Amino acid sequence: MNQNDKEHDKASRLIIKSFRLTLDGENFVVPIAAGETLLQAALAAGIDAPHSCTQGRCGTCMSWLRNGGVLMSATRALSKRNIENGYVLACQSRPSSNDPIWLDFDL
Amino acid sequence: MRIGTIESIWRYPVKGMRGEEIPHVYTAYTGLMGDRIYGVVAADGDPGHPWHTGRDQEEFVLYKACYNASEDLLLPSNLDATYSEWAPGIDPLYPDADAFKVNVETPEGAIYDDIENPEFIEDLEKITGRSLRIHASQRGIFDARPVSLISLSATAKLGEELGMHIDKRRFRANFYIEWDRSIQDDPFYELSLVGKTLKIGAWLEVSIVERDPRCTMITLDPDTAVATPKLLQHLGRKHDGDAGVFAAVLQRGRVNKGDPIFLK
Repeated sequence: MNQNDKEHDKASRLIIKSFRLTLDGENFVVPIAAGETLLQAALAAGIDAPHSCTQGRCGTCMSWLRNGGVLMSATRALSKRNIENGYVLACQSRPSSNDPIWLDFDL
Repeated sequence: MRIGTIESIWRYPVKGMRGEEIPHVYTAYTGLMGDRIYGVVAADGDPGHPWHTGRDQEEFVLYKACYNASEDLLLPSNLDATYSEWAPGIDPLYPDADAFKVNVETPEGAIYDDIENPEFIEDLEKITGRSLRIHASQRGIFDARPVSLISLSATAKLGEELGMHIDKRRFRANFYIEWDRSIQDDPFYELSLVGKTLKIGAWLEVSIVERDPRCTMITLDPDTAVATPKLLQHLGRKHDGDAGVFAAVLQRGRVNKGDPIFLK
């Protein structure tokens, strides 16, 4: 990692808010930095959040957005029904509102 | 060294629809004869993966696609001649395009005698709200590689880990394998074969080229289309997202159910 990357990494970890995450029946409060996806934040917090491709293709990180708003860069792994049910791809989701976010992996 | 047996052979006339078990099949460099000849292209699909599948419409996996002339699409009619008269074997003659006509039965019981009948696409468009068209290619329409394999020990072990029965058909493989447990006892043995060459039956040779990274298709029950996301979540958390392997064909040939598998 060069100096620029270090600076970027440091900046990217400036925590702006936190969100609630449910996994295996446990609830976590996850700090999230500016520009991070919900998945990146969860992994940075040491949570074993399901994921694989991290490109929005496989759907492994599909989860239920029980509250709050996110903006997804890609939704190609989600069916129409998934979207109607409020499912999101954690690897593609960034907070888009000030509403508290609750992400539930226990589908 | 013999390491296993072909438990069953499957092909999927239409990409994303239900597959059919077949007793034997000719496998070419382009995969199994009759495998994934048709696909449904969505105008609003991902440019890199425009196919309409169960990823978009869960019930798509319940559509039954069958060749009108299924028996004619197992082995090329001149296969024996291409083996015996030309070493090391030349490309046999495939049936004409008409022989590949496919009929489709929807989960609701509607039957279309030809998938290329405009009525089929029109009705599917009404159901899905998408602009769709049929694409056909005798060379097969694969996401990644022409042949896929997974063992019954792997699917059983995943089921054991998750505490649920896992129907092998979720994995939509061409060859389901039973590994010889007297040789090794790793239920996911196929994952260790990447880079190795296998001989299957008397003729076919394949190179195992990579693990199969899975997507939401495996979450869909092949009989109900009900999704079980925890299967894919488990695979991502405990198995790097992979189940089964892809193969490239090195030597073409006929494969039969029950054929032995040798590690070269």
